[in-house]
Amino acid sequence: MWILTLFCLFIGLFIGFQLPVLLPVAMVKYMSIGVLAALDSVFGGIRAYMEDAFDNTIFISGFIVNSLLAAGFAYLGDRLGLELYLAAVVVFGVRLFQNLGIIRRYLLKKY
Amino acid sequence: MRNTSGKITIMAVCLVVGIMLSVQFRTSENYGSNLRTARVDELALKNSTLSLEKDALSKEVVSLREKLTNVGSDSKLNADLQEELKKSNMAAGLIPVSGPGVIVTLNDSPRSVQPGDDPNALLVHDIDILNIVNEMRASGAEAISVNNERITAMSEIRCAGTTVLVNWNKIAPPFIIKAIGNPQLLESGLSIRGGKLEELKTFGLQTQLVRNDNVDIPAYTGALKFQYAAPIQSKKKAES
Repeated sequence: MWILTLFCLFIGLFIGFQLPVLLPVAMVKYMSIGVLAALDSVFGGIRAYMEDAFDNTIFISGFIVNSLLAAGFAYLGDRLGLELYLAAVVVFGVRLFQNLGIIRRYLLKKY
Repeated sequence: MRNTSGKITIMAVCLVVGIMLSVQFRTSENYGSNLRTARVDELALKNSTLSLEKDALSKEVVSLREKLTNVGSDSKLNADLQEELKKSNMAAGLIPVSGPGVIVTLNDSPRSVQPGDDPNALLVHDIDILNIVNEMRASGAEAISVNNERITAMSEIRCAGTTVLVNWNKIAPPFIIKAIGNPQLLESGLSIRGGKLEELKTFGLQTQLVRNDNVDIPAYTGALKFQYAAPIQSKKKAES
């Protein structure tokens, strides 16, 4: 199962490297926040899956809405002259590490 | 591990995340790793102007070298002198020019003077025209005229009673200021927020800024006289 997931990730990476699209410079910052939020969603989903509390709707909506919100907040912060993207970085960063920690513990318990 | 649809969603999302990650990675790789997005525009502008400057300088080097080799042959020398003369004439505003640019029209406020109003606030002044011309020069204008009076290195824009003097000619509103240069640069330079044109607009004066692909600017028609200034000979210049 996890090998398949990893495989999907690699396929995605491969497709991304083959795609002839490059983001405009102005978008890079927002996209990076969006990627962070997406990563957080993925690890949150994996954790929920391990805890048997996985809900498809919550996972998909969280993935999309969190990414868009994070990018939107970064954009709003730029317009306001406020480094609002730091808030997204801190929140998603902390949650990412928490989720990873829980996944690690779960795996240690399992094997 | 019973939730098969969950598995599929996680895989699909992983696929998307993979695409996002690699596109992001490639983009930041492409623009350099220590990218500070806030400064990108500034650096890009600097880069483009510097490369333009470099191109111009390298072209100049080539043409100067050519001229150096041409000094021996008379006909070539003559042609070079003609070319130099043309360039100087253009710089001095002695020949009419045309090209893309902008046209700014300034007129007095249509409002009639109310009791207690300062009538000066409703009029276009010499200083307003001067400011606009200055702004055009700052935005890279190559030739400027005010009501078809070419602005040269010695042109004045001076209040004279109810009219304005340019090249010792009286001009009256509406003032049509034409400039040849990069139309986009000129337009953005003039319409900058808090700039002179906006200031005039807030005073209620009638202003209009139009881009034009074919602006005609006449030559300076006045006399050229140098009563006091005399060129320093190159030999003397070398000594001093």
